[in-house]
Amino acid sequence: MTSPDHGALLERSAQLALFAERLAAVRRDRRGRLVLVSGEAGIGKTALLRAFCDAPLPVRVLWGGCDALHTPRALGPFVDIAEQTGGELAAVLAQGAAPTEVAVALASELRRTPAVLVLEDLHWADEATLDVIRLLARRMLQAPALVLATSRTDQLGSAHPLRLALGELPADAVERVALAPLSLAAVEQLADATDVDAAELHRSTAGNPFFVSEVLATEGGDVPETVRDAVLARAARLDDDARAVLEAVAVEPSRVELWLLEALVEDVRAGLDACLGSGMLVSERSTVGFRHEIARVVIEEALPPSRRALLARRALDALTAAIGRRPDLARLAHHAEAADDAGAVLHFATAAGERAAALGSHREAAAQLERAVRYSASLPRAQRAHLLERFAYECYLTDRMGDSSDARLLALEEHRTSGDRVREGDCHRWLSRLAWFAGENGRADSEAQLAIDLLQPLGPRRELAMAYSNMAQLRMLTADEAGAVSWGNRAIAMAEELGELEILAHALNNVGTAEMRVDVPGGFEKLQRSLAIAVEHDLQEHVARAFTNLASAPLDHRDYARSGPYLDAGIAYCLQRDLDAWTLYMVGYRARGELDQGQWETAEASAREVLDLGRAPSPTHVAPLVVTGRLLARRGEDGVWAALDEALDIAAGAGEIQRVGLVANARAEARWLAGDDDAIQVETAAALALALMRDERWIAGELFLWRRRAGNPEQPAPGTVAEPFALELAGDADGAAAAWSAIGCPYEAALALAHSSSEQSQRRALAELQRLGARPAAARVARRLRESGARDVRKGPRSSTRENPGGLTARELEVLVLVAEGLRNAEIAARLFASERTVAHHVSAILRKLGVASRGQASAEAARLGIVER
Amino acid sequence: MDLYVILRRNGWPTGADLQAAAARSTRVGNEEMSDDVRWIRSYVLDEGDGAVGTVCIYEATSPEALREHATRAGLPADEVISVLDTVLVRPDPVSAPA
Repeated sequence: MTSPDHGALLERSAQLALFAERLAAVRRDRRGRLVLVSGEAGIGKTALLRAFCDAPLPVRVLWGGCDALHTPRALGPFVDIAEQTGGELAAVLAQGAAPTEVAVALASELRRTPAVLVLEDLHWADEATLDVIRLLARRMLQAPALVLATSRTDQLGSAHPLRLALGELPADAVERVALAPLSLAAVEQLADATDVDAAELHRSTAGNPFFVSEVLATEGGDVPETVRDAVLARAARLDDDARAVLEAVAVEPSRVELWLLEALVEDVRAGLDACLGSGMLVSERSTVGFRHEIARVVIEEALPPSRRALLARRALDALTAAIGRRPDLARLAHHAEAADDAGAVLHFATAAGERAAALGSHREAAAQLERAVRYSASLPRAQRAHLLERFAYECYLTDRMGDSSDARLLALEEHRTSGDRVREGDCHRWLSRLAWFAGENGRADSEAQLAIDLLQPLGPRRELAMAYSNMAQLRMLTADEAGAVSWGNRAIAMAEELGELEILAHALNNVGTAEMRVDVPGGFEKLQRSLAIAVEHDLQEHVARAFTNLASAPLDHRDYARSGPYLDAGIAYCLQRDLDAWTLYMVGYRARGELDQGQWETAEASAREVLDLGRAPSPTHVAPLVVTGRLLARRGEDGVWAALDEALDIAAGAGEIQRVGLVANARAEARWLAGDDDAIQVETAAALALALMRDERWIAGELFLWRRRAGNPEQPAPGTVAEPFALELAGDADGAAAAWSAIGCPYEAALALAHSSSEQSQRRALAELQRLGARPAAARVARRLRESGARDVRKGPRSSTRENPGGLTARELEVLVLVAEGLRNAEIAARLFASERTVAHHVSAILRKLGVASRGQASAEAARLGIVER
Repeated sequence: MDLYVILRRNGWPTGADLQAAAARSTRVGNEEMSDDVRWIRSYVLDEGDGAVGTVCIYEATSPEALREHATRAGLPADEVISVLDTVLVRPDPVSAPA
């Protein structure tokens, strides 16, 4: 810490030198970079950044921080930064613009002149802030900015959105710096002039610089056992006036304006100077704050409840009556709750929630509305129900399905008591949707039926149309196509009558998708109409859903010519609008299509694109996990079962045939490739029964085929499996191979050929599998040929992957050679006719496989392994 | 309580000074004299060169209570005028949202 009482920073010169060097690189290349500084609370993140920025820098410094409000200010750090820049950024923030516009304004601000951009305490960031960072990351390469971000390591789980945001930057533009505690030598140096036992101090503080400085500031003999004791001991040395100021500042999680302090304490001047002099508080531009958040929390928690409430009351009154710019709603809601003022909580927390929702900070919106719900007992029924439903919706958007369900049930109770049948029915419709997400398909069905039963007698209205469409969607998702069409058509008719376009788009999608699955003419046209309506009225989620289903239904039937254009258009549409969940879903589908068509490298890259983002496992991960598992199995590499077991876990939860079948077939193939034929019956039994029940002929066909290849003679009933499978199952392997070739699936064609009775076909299959790099399959076919007496069966070239010591694929080798030449990703991409993103994936794979941290080390390793010349 | 207008001309050299005064005024009004004065609203006056003054509308038990409140909160009070009647033609224009 730059504590005024202890002078310079110890043991941080390497980090300062790194910052200086990166800043020089940013200015030279006019290309942005990010350094993420992490470490536990009190380790000195802020102090390090301050030390760097306080030294004369050749560029301007823009400083923004996230605050420790239970529910943070939306876009807090950028509001801070806009105060320093003014201009367009300030203008868009004042208008309450969405994260996209904020990111664009900030990027153009950064392009103007080089800058150091500090973003502090990102572990507290709200979603809108993280959205801006993610969007900024995509634009940062063109901006000469060095972004220095800080985050507490202990609060950044693997699924934290910050990781997602950083994933948008190329690996070589991001660095992580983890700060270590002070060494004993450093503590000895700090304690030198005091009578404190340095060894004892180092032991009890574990070298935490903040803790050390607090202990030394008390100048007492004994070393306190906890940092809390150290802070309180230091505060105890202040007089009453100073303590009053300290306590007042502690109730405000961000910094306190000097004018506000006048409302909080009777005599500011008497106490403030002592606080500043002691170094516990620091002042900055007409505000004061604690030197460290740890100290603030300690002082706040030590406040008697009545004093705490009084200070909050004063802060709330003064902020409400503030002249000029209105204070942030989240801040008002925070004080309202601390003052236990139910009316103010309801007013400000609700307003803060709505504002956060409008900015896309749905997690903060849910938290604010939850706060309001806690104080909602006194509200009139209809109002309370409305609040509960708003809260439930924000929970639904943020994957808090259990809380959403609970809130819907409470709202349902209010509606039932006040006799509002329409809202009651609509609540059942929501509960149905939520039950489906929870994997409780039985309850989803019964709630959907309850909604219809309640609403139907009340006559046509949007809630009833939506209840019909919900039922259609449920039927479609569980592959009951006839049910989907029948309920969906009722929804379509009513939505058209009422002019409810959003419901119409929803219902047309459900019916069209169901019809397309079973090849009913007109399904495709319905989906297209759904798309057109959604595009015309900018119903973005419906556009995304239409593209997804237009692409996925033909892909499930292996119609790549029809699926491809919708995938491309859909991915482009969603990328542009940051509809990430949908983008990833479609990229997963694309990976499947690429794998089917023998484009294994691109399939691998697509799958990794989804999986690398480190989000919690979701249905979106099933397709990319299956693609990854199948590729590893086909190449004879490790890690097959990790991928396929995870896929099975996710798919089993939802119990939908599309996913269950996909996973079962992948697992059957992996078993077959491993020669573990006995396991195939078990892997496929449940999925096959479901596929036959749902009349899913492509899934059932493949399942039958793996069982047959494992020696099971069962024969499908006519018309229950798709044509290429039917041919091979009927003994016409050559015909099946021809059909697969016509469809455009080379691996499937080769495997079919391998099961031909003709030796010539088997030899062709072997050559094709060797060409594809399908080592285990080739080995199996070669063995079969030899066993049936064929001669001169070459084992074929060993997979290239096995030949080089780094375990790199041929493509990764190519990339590594260019990396060793010192080329950047963009240049490599141009040389190899690949996208920059794909190159970035290859580079990270190379670093991982070689076990190195940088491109430089990778080059050295390449030389050591003899891949490139020294 | 009756309604009063209080003129505080050229009270503060900057807006920030007024902000601090308003904060003190709120605390004194709410905690010490809540039975005697009630702040209704204020109009902030542009006095030139960044200086500001105010016209404040208060309810109070007496003009003396208002002067006492001004003294305790450290505010000027050039004139305290009793209001005879209120004519509301339109609501106040809403200031720019945060």
